[in-house]
Amino acid sequence: MGMIGTFDAFTTARLGIYAAQHGLRVTGNNISNINTAGYTRQRIDQVSLKTGASDMYRSTYDNHVGNGALVTGINQIRDPYLDIRYRNTSSDVGFYDTMLGGLQQIASILDEVGKGENGGDGLLYAELMKLSTALRQLESDPNKDNDNLTRASAEALASLFRTYADKLDTLKKNTLEGFEKDISSVNEILTNIRNLNESIRDNELQGDNALELRDERNRQIDALSEYMHIRVEYSMEDAGAGKQVEKLTIRLGNSNPDPTVTTDSSVLIDGLFGTQVSVKMVPKANPDYDAKDPNSFQYLKPDNTGTNNPDEAEQVYDENYILQLGKLVDRRGKEWEGRTSAYKELTQAELLQPPYNMVLGEKAVFKFNVGAAAGWNEGDVIQIGGKDVTIGANGDITLADMNDPTKLAALVAKNLNGTVPGYTITADGGTLVYTATKTGLVDAANKPVGPTFNPGTGAGTIDFTDGAEFFGVTGKAPTLPAPTTTNNPDGTQTIVSYIQSVGKYYEVTTQVEHTDEVTLDDNDLHGSLQATRELLTEAGSFATQDTVANVDENAGIKRGIPFYQKSLDLLAQKLATEYNKLNEGVMLDQDGNEVESITGTIEFLKSLGVTFHEAGNSKGGFGDGYYVNADGIFVGTTEHPVCVLDQAQLSVNDTVQEAAKKIRDSGADPTFANGIDIDDPANEAQLAGLLKDFMKAHGVNSDNAEKETVTLTKPIKMGGPLFSNRNDGDDTTGITASNISVSHSWSTGDVRIVPKFEVLFNGEVTDSTQNVNVGHMLALIEKSLVYNPQDLVPTAVGTKLFQGSFNDMLSDSVTTLGNDQRIQTSKLNTTYTSLIDLDTSREGVSGVDLNDETMNMMQYQKAYSAACRLMTAIDEAIDRLINNTGIAGR
Amino acid sequence: MIRATTGGVLKSYRRNLMNSFIARNKAQDTVLTQRNFNSYAEDPTSAARAFKLRKARMTVQSQYSVCTDTHKKFQTGWSSLEGISKLIDTETAEPMKTLTGTTLSMLNDPTGDAREQLTKVLDQISQTIVQNLNQKYGENFIFSGADGHNVPFEIKDDKLYYRGVPVDAAVPNVVMDGGAPMGIDPATGLVDANGTTYVKDPASSLVKRSTFDAMDPADQPKILKQNANPGDPQRFNENGVPDPNGEYYLNLDQAETMTKEEYETAVSDAEKLKYLMNEKQFVDIGLGFQENENGQLIESSAYNAALNGLTFIGYGLDADGDPKNIYSLVQKMKEISSRVKDGEKWTDEDYDEFDGLVKKLERASSEFKTEFTNMSAGTQKLENNVELLEDNFYNLQEQYADIEDVDMADALTSFVWAQYCYNAALKVGNSVLSESLMDYLK
Repeated sequence: MGMIGTFDAFTTARLGIYAAQHGLRVTGNNISNINTAGYTRQRIDQVSLKTGASDMYRSTYDNHVGNGALVTGINQIRDPYLDIRYRNTSSDVGFYDTMLGGLQQIASILDEVGKGENGGDGLLYAELMKLSTALRQLESDPNKDNDNLTRASAEALASLFRTYADKLDTLKKNTLEGFEKDISSVNEILTNIRNLNESIRDNELQGDNALELRDERNRQIDALSEYMHIRVEYSMEDAGAGKQVEKLTIRLGNSNPDPTVTTDSSVLIDGLFGTQVSVKMVPKANPDYDAKDPNSFQYLKPDNTGTNNPDEAEQVYDENYILQLGKLVDRRGKEWEGRTSAYKELTQAELLQPPYNMVLGEKAVFKFNVGAAAGWNEGDVIQIGGKDVTIGANGDITLADMNDPTKLAALVAKNLNGTVPGYTITADGGTLVYTATKTGLVDAANKPVGPTFNPGTGAGTIDFTDGAEFFGVTGKAPTLPAPTTTNNPDGTQTIVSYIQSVGKYYEVTTQVEHTDEVTLDDNDLHGSLQATRELLTEAGSFATQDTVANVDENAGIKRGIPFYQKSLDLLAQKLATEYNKLNEGVMLDQDGNEVESITGTIEFLKSLGVTFHEAGNSKGGFGDGYYVNADGIFVGTTEHPVCVLDQAQLSVNDTVQEAAKKIRDSGADPTFANGIDIDDPANEAQLAGLLKDFMKAHGVNSDNAEKETVTLTKPIKMGGPLFSNRNDGDDTTGITASNISVSHSWSTGDVRIVPKFEVLFNGEVTDSTQNVNVGHMLALIEKSLVYNPQDLVPTAVGTKLFQGSFNDMLSDSVTTLGNDQRIQTSKLNTTYTSLIDLDTSREGVSGVDLNDETMNMMQYQKAYSAACRLMTAIDEAIDRLINNTGIAGR
Repeated sequence: MIRATTGGVLKSYRRNLMNSFIARNKAQDTVLTQRNFNSYAEDPTSAARAFKLRKARMTVQSQYSVCTDTHKKFQTGWSSLEGISKLIDTETAEPMKTLTGTTLSMLNDPTGDAREQLTKVLDQISQTIVQNLNQKYGENFIFSGADGHNVPFEIKDDKLYYRGVPVDAAVPNVVMDGGAPMGIDPATGLVDANGTTYVKDPASSLVKRSTFDAMDPADQPKILKQNANPGDPQRFNENGVPDPNGEYYLNLDQAETMTKEEYETAVSDAEKLKYLMNEKQFVDIGLGFQENENGQLIESSAYNAALNGLTFIGYGLDADGDPKNIYSLVQKMKEISSRVKDGEKWTDEDYDEFDGLVKKLERASSEFKTEFTNMSAGTQKLENNVELLEDNFYNLQEQYADIEDVDMADALTSFVWAQYCYNAALKVGNSVLSESLMDYLK
């Protein structure tokens, strides 16, 4: 039976009290945090304590009793797999929720269900119809009042277009502001996680699990997962002194469907290092830049002046709002470095070579040659090095071998070795080698005494002569070169250094990786940030071929605010273009023939005897249709409006400036008018001279040519544009929903809707209420038109967005929007339900349950009471032993 | 098994309560807005259909307005024409009875009173016709075709003009050679390619070659001779068409001539009249207003609202050279009646001419009635169309209401159910929050 400590049980009871108290504290903590967001329930790690070790003298009758309970730590209950699924789903929810929110915002502008008169005639939709009503009225009576009414209707329509466009523009700006705030929030979260990593690491080093900090970190990671799809990894890293601590790494979640793209798994957080997200900035492009004009600037400075230096230009957001990840830096701004080292041991042969130049330490060597032995007989016993050597067949050496210097030298060396202090004696053929036992120089004074022997029973001789002598040198350690650093083309560095360890020399090659900025691909993200980006950038059928080829191959089917803006623009442009086309024409007679007016005469030069070629027709010859004017400049005629000189197609309508640009830009003469500002009217005369020279150089010599006067006529234009790109002018270029206006001429009455272009019998017969053209305008409202995105964006991938009337086009855009909303709603509902389920599951694992904690509380309370009772019992028992034992008979 | 924790249960409850509240709110919105959907996203197909129907309703509304206007214009025009009809009906109209009676009585009138009366009556008729045809509806003249802003009929020098063109314009019957009028030199009596004088109604000035040749040269009339072979007569066939083998000569002494300018003006006027008679002014009254691929109106899809006064009262000249126009006929009758001097009797020629004009007037009156009847049919068509559009308007309203408007019984039931569910959820919440093991600790 082993020994039992008298007071051991007290310790057991005390540990029980401690454990129960810990339990109560943890339970209390859990209950207190039942409403704390992100809190993970905690529990104590409790083990049974057993002290002592195996005792070889332990009695088999000794029963070992444990020493109570020990609380080894407090941990969290968390399921990492649920976290992964929750965060993956969270990015889905973030994406669909944000996308749906954006589409709803667009719908709040464009969706006219329930809006307008009569309980839902719509606004823009109804205005288009009001225009139709006004035109119908104008058709029935094309008078000034009805023209004014139609104009008022057109003004209301244009105004509503502008209002919608303005609202969409404002929405885009607001979305951009939201995007900037989101990026700011993401950066704050990344900073928080990085800092939390540091705090948790510090706590861990001090032995604390930092559970509350982990909760906060998990909460931040959850929040981050809404913005972007992420992958969270935990690993252990060496904190020095053999201490391992947990390291958290967060990467992008590999969302890009393009397998060749690797940036979609870029590191966001690497332990103590974290990155920041920003929108890529690019120099502001000059919208009027003309690559062929040497005086044109590619970029604009902040003061709106031009520059070709991108660094001087105003920096603006990239048009695709491409995101960049900054360098990984720690809290103090120190950049992350990744080092991997390879060790290579240097061989002695290498060390002896430059640059190490090691010198080995060498020992002094003295050699003695063994010569002939003579006078020996069989059975003689001689002493060498104090040892008997018998000559004979059964002895140490045969008599014959005595004459063999090699064998004799071996025998001598064997017996002499150890007899000469400071030297080791060996045989090398017929030579005895005395090698000093210490390296370094041995001078002549310490030269060993050569071999000697005692003839013993014999009387022979052995002839020894001095051989070579070497006094030895002191060794020299290798010279280790200074470390060298090489910068590699891929941005990494290679550092080569040398170390000595345990008598060995190593060449250490260290590859150093540096953190760098990463420009993300268009599809690297998935989450609310990406949804906002898509809302800001996706133009669907209006996406350019360049975007599809270089940014996102699916851009043609993704629709964000730009798509709906451009759809509205296309509708406005189509409406304006078609109505302008109908209201601009030339005067016709009653039979539909053009009426022309004489505008003057022009003097042509003819019979120049040169050959021109009509565009695309090499057989074309110089005929009556080709003319140059008196200045020798090609003017052409309406029948032959184009003259080709080299590659320059000069047109009858070209101004001097336009002709000059054509010659320069077509490649016919790239140096044409070099140094002359073609657009400056002051240079027109000079340009005309150059043009004349150019024509002459191409065989069109106007000197001494026969002249002919030709009467010029031109059709009589009628009408004018009804819509323009601003209400104080008649410019019809670039009309969009944001600028569509009733033209200045229409608003002042200078232009009216042309009811018909026919003038009957030179005006001798009037038809004041004829309305043929108004009829065309009325029919246009219902006409099936093709809406081609390329009409608005020349390089758009889409070719036919829709075919139908104006109203149908508007309705189709909003139907598309409605369907997009439905799709996003469906996706959101599905993913949100999953997210809720996952959250519930996580809550099931990590959440605090009041019943659970009450049970724990009761359990620990009872345990505490029991431990106290145990202590009382032991106290009583020992009291019996101390105070009431051994008093028998008292 | 997943633990059901207090926090988890509360979260779940909150979410479900929110869903319940959302459902209730949506049901409430449905009741309050009385609409099946409040955005495209809720039901894109129905929303698009409803807008199409609303658009159709707005179109019909606008077409109704145009159609009503056109109908009123036609009604007003009809009233004007009715006035004329009453005036010129040879059987029932008092003036025409008077005309007929007066015609009879004046035959033997030695004093000329009856002729004077006849002249007055004829003048009144013609003036009334013109006045009625110059009626306006609103700001526009009704019978001016597509020139509603200008007075259609004007009388200048007792001649009637329609939109500046004489209503009796016709291509004059002149000697034609190779499709162009044959010019002559009146001085020499030769055909002249550059001549600016044309011979009218050649058939009435022909003299038979044999007759001419049989005549004493001193009595022979001046005839048209060739230019190429001066002295050779220009031969014609019996219809007055130049013919090298013709048996007729053209008697220049009898022939009526006109200048080239007069001829061209007459031709131009005739062309203008022809153009004006084909003139149309289409309006959209809901017949499917549409253009073909060439951008030309499909005429059957619109309504021609142009009313041309000449359609009713006629224009141009007949084969006898008499006007076909009622006004001009009446004027001509007036001229005949006024040229018989007091105390003189009608010559047979005057009488025959007058009588012939009366017959032509009756024919013109008959044609007027035909056109008038056609117009009545057109007016009726417009009236029917107005009713059709009205029906269509209400039908369309019903159709989109069927799509948009909720069935209130259904909406209210849904709302009550949603409310009930929400109340139940609240009740459950009360229990969820109250019970835990903690409550049973003593």
